[in-house]
Formats: sequence, structure tokens, C-alpha cells
Amino acid sequence: MATAINKSLIGKEYPPYPVTVERGKIKEFARAIGDANPLYLDDRVGAASEWGDVIAPPTFAITFRDETADSAAFLRELGTDISRLLHGEQEFEIFRPLQPGQTYLCRAKVVDIYEKTGRSGSMAFVVRETTIADHSNEIVATMRGVTVVRL
Amino acid sequence: MKYAKVYFDDVNVGDELPPLVKGPIQQIQLTRYAGASGDFNPIHQDDEFARAAGMGGVFAHGMLSMGFVGQAVTDWSGAGTVRKLNVRFAAIVRLKDVVTCRGRVVGKSSKDDVNLVELEVWAENQRAEKVVTGRATVVLPSRV
Repeated sequence: MATAINKSLIGKEYPPYPVTVERGKIKEFARAIGDANPLYLDDRVGAASEWGDVIAPPTFAITFRDETADSAAFLRELGTDISRLLHGEQEFEIFRPLQPGQTYLCRAKVVDIYEKTGRSGSMAFVVRETTIADHSNEIVATMRGVTVVRL
Repeated sequence: MKYAKVYFDDVNVGDELPPLVKGPIQQIQLTRYAGASGDFNPIHQDDEFARAAGMGGVFAHGMLSMGFVGQAVTDWSGAGTVRKLNVRFAAIVRLKDVVTCRGRVVGKSSKDDVNLVELEVWAENQRAEKVVTGRATVVLPSRV
């Protein structure tokens, strides 16, 4: 049963949202991956490092969600539901490691939506980009994700 | 090599990262990753839901495998050295799968006193099927 994907979302920009990084959240994330790097987990090692504090693992920005946004509403607007989603691709560019106690401002945008038919049926690809800026509005990281919707 | 920091000068095209072996993947790790990441899609937690969705049972978050790949890179290059990491999720990782992350240096460049090393990175399961493929760029210090 093929469903239509709402391509009118291409170009849609979402309201900027702030994320404050909690020290414990970095450690919880590193431990969930099973990465015991002391630069993520040990405050003394972090303090003695060039960064002056612990830093976040390279994929940590994936936790930066807009907690006030209704993610189910986004999926409805797209014309799908969570059971149809797969993660296709992901990219992070990191100009400065993310650190605890910092508040970052995230700006997310739908940059493309396209459809393809392959051996596993019809699929839509939703490409979203997010920029992450620090308190002085300098972009410290970007992420780009491709969500696959099984149609 | 654990938590190593390598110098740009000592890296050569063709060098391989020490393989990082993760797993066997257990449900508890997926539950833990859901909590840590905020991705509570039931497809990674609830076998019945995942079967009804046509996925044949629960499978791991792609982002968990990407986290493994990130670790394989930083175990070699040092935490805080990753400038760019991009991957494609090529196949699904199931419970009990063993994921081995690998990488190889494919390029070196220096510009404005920044030394960049390009890596091809990938992760494979116990049947040597690639589950993640991608590229990483790390910034390394030089000896001088």
C-alpha cells in the first residue's frame, strides 16, 4: 500500500531551539555506546585537557532535539508514521567539540525530499540539516540526516 | 593503542585502524541507547511492533553503530579530533550480531596549519556483511 509523501515540506525551516548540554548526559551517551574514553567520562582528565572540561563524543549532537516540538505531528505532516522510518545516512561536521554547561542554538531545515523505487519497494528520502551555534552565534557543528520512509 | 593520539607526521595513506569489536548486541544496550539518545522508536525495543512493521523483529539504532564507528576512529586518533563523520546505514544490525568497526587512511592534507587525515570507515557483522560505510576526517597535531 503506497502512500504519498508531502514534498511541500522541502525548504521548511523550524523555529530555532536551545539545548543546554548536561554533564551527566554526555557520560550516559558515551556509556550507552560502550565508549569509556576518559575525555568523555572523567572530569579531571577533561579539566587537564586542551578543552578545559570533558567533551562530547562525535555523534552526541543527535540528542539535540526540540523538546517542545511534536515529532508525531511532523510525521503526520509528512504523511507517514514512526513504524515506516529507517535511518539512511547521517553526517556530523564538528568545528569545536560540544561541552557540558554550554547552551547551543539549533536551527533545523528540511533540505530535500525525493522518492526512489528499489528492490525493497518504493521509498522516500527526507534530508534534514541542523546547524548548532554557540552563545556567540558561531556555528560549532552541523548535522545532516537522511530518513528513509518505506512507502 | 587505547585512547591513542597520533601525530600527522606518523600517519600514512593505507594505514589501518585497529579493529573495534562490539557486541553481541543485546536488547539492554538498545534500551540504554534509547534513553541516552532520546530515540524511543519502539521498533528498537518491542519485537511485536517491529514484526508488525514488517521488519522481522527489533533491530539496533543506526546511530548506535555510528557511535561504534566514531569510537573506532577516536580510539585511534584521540577524542576531540573528529572534524567530520558521515555514514550510510547499509544493513540492519540485529540482536546477537557482533559489529566490527574498521578504517583505513585514504588521504592527508594540510591547509592553514590544519592537518587533516581522511579515512574510509566501515562496520561489518559476523558474516562480514557491511552494515555501515562512510568517511571520517580527523584533525591531527604535527610533531613540529
